[in-house]
Amino acid sequence: MAKYLGLDKVGKLFQIIQQSGGLRAAYKKLYRFDELKIGSLVGTDKYGNKYFENPYYFYGRNRWVEYAHHQNMDYDGSQIPAEWFGWMHYKTDLPPIRDGARVQHKWMASHSENLSGTKEQYMPYTTTKPKYEAWDPKKK
Amino acid sequence: MSAIKLFSLTRNGNRAIPLCSSRAYSTSKDKEILPPLKGYKYVNNLDPAMDITSITNRAAQQIFWTELLSGFGVTLAHIFKEPATINYPFEKGPLSPRFRGEHALRRYPSGEERCIACKLCEAICPAQAITIEAEERADGSRRTTRYDIDMTKCIYCGFCQEACPVDAIVEGPNFEFSTETHEELLYNKEKLLSNGDKWESEIASNLQADHLYR
Repeated sequence: MAKYLGLDKVGKLFQIIQQSGGLRAAYKKLYRFDELKIGSLVGTDKYGNKYFENPYYFYGRNRWVEYAHHQNMDYDGSQIPAEWFGWMHYKTDLPPIRDGARVQHKWMASHSENLSGTKEQYMPYTTTKPKYEAWDPKKK
Repeated sequence: MSAIKLFSLTRNGNRAIPLCSSRAYSTSKDKEILPPLKGYKYVNNLDPAMDITSITNRAAQQIFWTELLSGFGVTLAHIFKEPATINYPFEKGPLSPRFRGEHALRRYPSGEERCIACKLCEAICPAQAITIEAEERADGSRRTTRYDIDMTKCIYCGFCQEACPVDAIVEGPNFEFSTETHEELLYNKEKLLSNGDKWESEIASNLQADHLYR
């Protein structure tokens, strides 16, 4: 009966508020993420991003990320590291914490977000010596 | 199935078609629609029924705005429906392991760069976006000194990674590399190698996922 009247949705709302840690925290979450969802924590990457899953929502919405707290409103799609990229994009159902076949090399670099528009942005430079030089008449 | 029947009607329906065309020119006499032949469907708009009950019902619908109200009902229902869109960047759409995104130069597990400057990618590139210069390294191996890709020329066809004999140049999974200026997209060798170092985990698992088809 409650299902036909949609009362289970109200119950779900209370569950979501409880899981996000109170009314205030829920509001903050809603403000940051535009959406309040309930789900199970799949893992956390080393940058502090939390990954959630709930098959209740349909495919494409059933996995989501909550960007690290210190990012505040400066979250960006490119902050998801390569390890979690495949899971996030439904390429694999194995999150990297349970995937033993993932390569690990010591030369592998840590992730960085898209730095365009910041001071650390990439600027092209030549990697070769110049082929010709201007003539300097003073030089003997 | 009905489409096939319609098609066969236009081809063999030597009886049905003259009937239709004669009705188009007729004025008052034969207003009533002939019942469709057995096995055929009448697809044109039907005239509204003119008996007193139907006329009253239609008038009531207009006077009481029932269509407007049922429209509001549809709107209200859609507010509570689960949206059909995803909430990017928190949710992301599905992607293939073969997705061709941002380029990267890979390394061998030892850390040695793979590219041997064979210039096959430069030769096959239909947009001529790749520029390579090569020199002998101090240890005698042939390596590139310049490996530039103009990402604004690139058409992301993936020919470079297909041409590469050592799996050095690959189009990685990353598509979130948009920039604010044009020059940031003129990648040089260092940038491509650092892309490879950053994305190797995902590039390797993509290659692994597709290894039966390569």
